[in-house]
Amino acid sequence: MEGCARKIVLLALMIVLVLTQGRAEALSQSEAEETARLLAALLDAGRLVIDRNQLLIDDQRRGDKGFTPNVFERQLQDEFLGRTGIDLAHLPAARVPPPARDLLAALVQASKDVVGDAQLVINQRGIGYKNFIPATFGSQAAIRFSSKSQVRLKQTALQPRNEKNQPDRYETAVLQQLAAQSIQSAPLSEITDGGKTLRVLSPIYYTKDCLKCHGGPAGELDISGYPKEGAKEGDLAGAISVSVPLGER
Amino acid sequence: MAFEPFRPFVFPAIFTDEGLRVTGLDVELVREIAADLSTRCGGKPIIPVIHLVRFRDLFVELNEGKLDLFVSAVAANVPAPTRAGLAYSTPYFNGGGLAAIVRRPEISELILARLDRQRDQPPSQEEFKGALEGLTVAVQEGRGAHYFAQANLAMAKVVLCDSLPAAFESEDPSIDVILGGQPILDYTVTWVRKDWQRMMLGNRKPLLLSREQYAVVMAEESYWLRWAVNDLLFRLNESGRLEAMRRRWLEESYAYPRRAAKEGLPFAAENMPQHYDQGRCRWAERK
Repeated sequence: MEGCARKIVLLALMIVLVLTQGRAEALSQSEAEETARLLAALLDAGRLVIDRNQLLIDDQRRGDKGFTPNVFERQLQDEFLGRTGIDLAHLPAARVPPPARDLLAALVQASKDVVGDAQLVINQRGIGYKNFIPATFGSQAAIRFSSKSQVRLKQTALQPRNEKNQPDRYETAVLQQLAAQSIQSAPLSEITDGGKTLRVLSPIYYTKDCLKCHGGPAGELDISGYPKEGAKEGDLAGAISVSVPLGER
Repeated sequence: MAFEPFRPFVFPAIFTDEGLRVTGLDVELVREIAADLSTRCGGKPIIPVIHLVRFRDLFVELNEGKLDLFVSAVAANVPAPTRAGLAYSTPYFNGGGLAAIVRRPEISELILARLDRQRDQPPSQEEFKGALEGLTVAVQEGRGAHYFAQANLAMAKVVLCDSLPAAFESEDPSIDVILGGQPILDYTVTWVRKDWQRMMLGNRKPLLLSREQYAVVMAEESYWLRWAVNDLLFRLNESGRLEAMRRRWLEESYAYPRRAAKEGLPFAAENMPQHYDQGRCRWAERK
């Protein structure tokens, strides 16, 4: 019954995204999904840029690391271009759904702001591990972006270390489904709340680098003081969850 | 609070899921003070804003009225001529002391030989003065060790450092001995700078030069605030809470990033320089 209602929604409605400045534009479902997918990809690209610079960030012999918001942005642009073919430096000309331009630009700015605020910590000398890692970057960037937009971005996992990243009922169901199947590279999307919300979850899987903190032995404290999860490479780490409010025209 | 970390009283600022945070025993005490003052002020929440500034500048900022109080592992019982106009609370930490660490074992051997290596009692200031003769001794400017060196180490080559990390990194001059607060040096050589070792007496007790009591610092005329803080410290002490805090930070095994994420306080980032500068060391003027 629920599925039937969903099909009716999909076929009959034009979807409206309510955007940052309160403007509303009509979007097809595929455009809304594409916007959410790009936002998830951008947040994940930012996490990867932090991961690639982890040794630099944690270098206790250097003070000023030179990892400025602008340096981060350039690397983010390169990574995102490689993943999606979209040049963030020329967003107005990019072939993306029109509302995605504002939203992607807002997420870039939120991510740069996080890197900017972290400069004080990043550039401390004599201190190695600073807890500026993909997960903490991602949490902050998502919070900042979501606070200025009606599109909600969040990192979540079945057993998150950060209580604020606890999955809701929908996210729990999807994460359980993802955990039970082999690696799924494409985001999963669905319209929920009787057609009011588009939910997109983009899974994140553990890589070798992640296992320093999340691998075995389970229960042993990692460098940040959290018990390791005992995960293996390729296990589901969590997901980037995007929630887009929809409206009818 | 001090810009350079006095682990475990103030840990380095760290990035958390909530943003930048600082934590440590002194930060926990600040939380207690803020909560108590909130109750005293009719329940209106008093939000502590942490300022991370150079240790020596804390006193200046308090004198200029920019701070109401600060907590930064400050020894209240150290004779310090530049601290006029300030007042201290009753001590919140009695386990402090002035201690020494060295990097090279031969320096430790030399000092012990000069002191009589079999001794098991702390040396007098006069004995210690002779034991350090000709050695390069680093102290942090404005801390108790600085005033101790001014008063007692005429025969040593004293180096003033902007921070403890600056003392560790100093190559010109190269440092033989660092004098400083015992709990801070202990924590540092145990967890952070394992290439340094604490000076021990013949009976394997740490070499201590004095006992230090850490207190909250306020303006001399802040009578009401001092009464309030003293009353809180009295109650924390009587209830065993202060002792629990001390054990929690000095004896337990923990990773401070997690504590920072769970219970740390945000700080006023705009008051910090663009990037961390731990400063440098320079020869002290001989008086």
